[in-house]
Amino acid sequence: MIKLMSTFIHPVPAEYEEWLENLAQQGYHPNKINHWTSTFLIFKKGEPKKYRYVLDMQPFVKKEYFETYKDFGWEHCGQMSSTYLWRMEYTDERPESFTDTSALKERNRRFVKAISFSFILFVVTFLIIAATFIINRNDCGTAGIVQYTLGLVLSGFITLYLGNVMRKINKFIK
Amino acid sequence: MDIETARKKFTPMSETMLYILMSLVEERHGYGIMQHVKEITDGRIILGAGTIYQTLVKLENGELIKPTEEKDRKKLYIVTDMGKQILLQEKNRIIEIAKNMEGIL
Repeated sequence: MIKLMSTFIHPVPAEYEEWLENLAQQGYHPNKINHWTSTFLIFKKGEPKKYRYVLDMQPFVKKEYFETYKDFGWEHCGQMSSTYLWRMEYTDERPESFTDTSALKERNRRFVKAISFSFILFVVTFLIIAATFIINRNDCGTAGIVQYTLGLVLSGFITLYLGNVMRKINKFIK
Repeated sequence: MDIETARKKFTPMSETMLYILMSLVEERHGYGIMQHVKEITDGRIILGAGTIYQTLVKLENGELIKPTEEKDRKKLYIVTDMGKQILLQEKNRIIEIAKNMEGIL
């Protein structure tokens, strides 16, 4: 089974984890997690398993990062850029990696911070296109108007989408 | 980092961070910290890998703990003199809170 744009459909870390856990209970397990996972994620059909998945964003990890997780029984599934995916099979209580609220908030803040860079970039892009259009509105012709409109719609849509994702993750922070 | 900056940055300390720092009065690695804290709190606090890693990074950057050696690919840490001073300050703060609560409840 292939799932496209999974991280864009489930951009909130807790929701992405839950989505993977539900699929694992149906016997679908990610084949490989890598930089392409955000775009397409291949699942292999196997035995249904009760996994706890954890997404962690760490721009710079020390060597002991992996050792600490492995000592606690977590299996490293792979990484998408600076986002690491871990999982652990369990029977009774769903295991946690971030066991206190402040650690969980910090994890979520790292995601918001990473998304905010792209958000600012698209806001600036939107404003530049809008300003250029206003300056050149009398000389750009029909084709130009179409191009400006497409640029504004696309950058506006992505800006709104990223803003909404940050709002959703922030809900978990408060 | 000097002690004043450390005080401003780390105190009052969260229960999780305090227990982690307290555990490092003896040399321990991440998993050992979790086991120790679980034991001394009768299983009330069970720390996760993400929480421990994040807290150790913060404490090490703040020079409240330092790495000692690596055993079986596990990094061991111990509290520094500055970390001990912060611990002592936190101990006094908690004693003061406990004293002030006496007779109220």
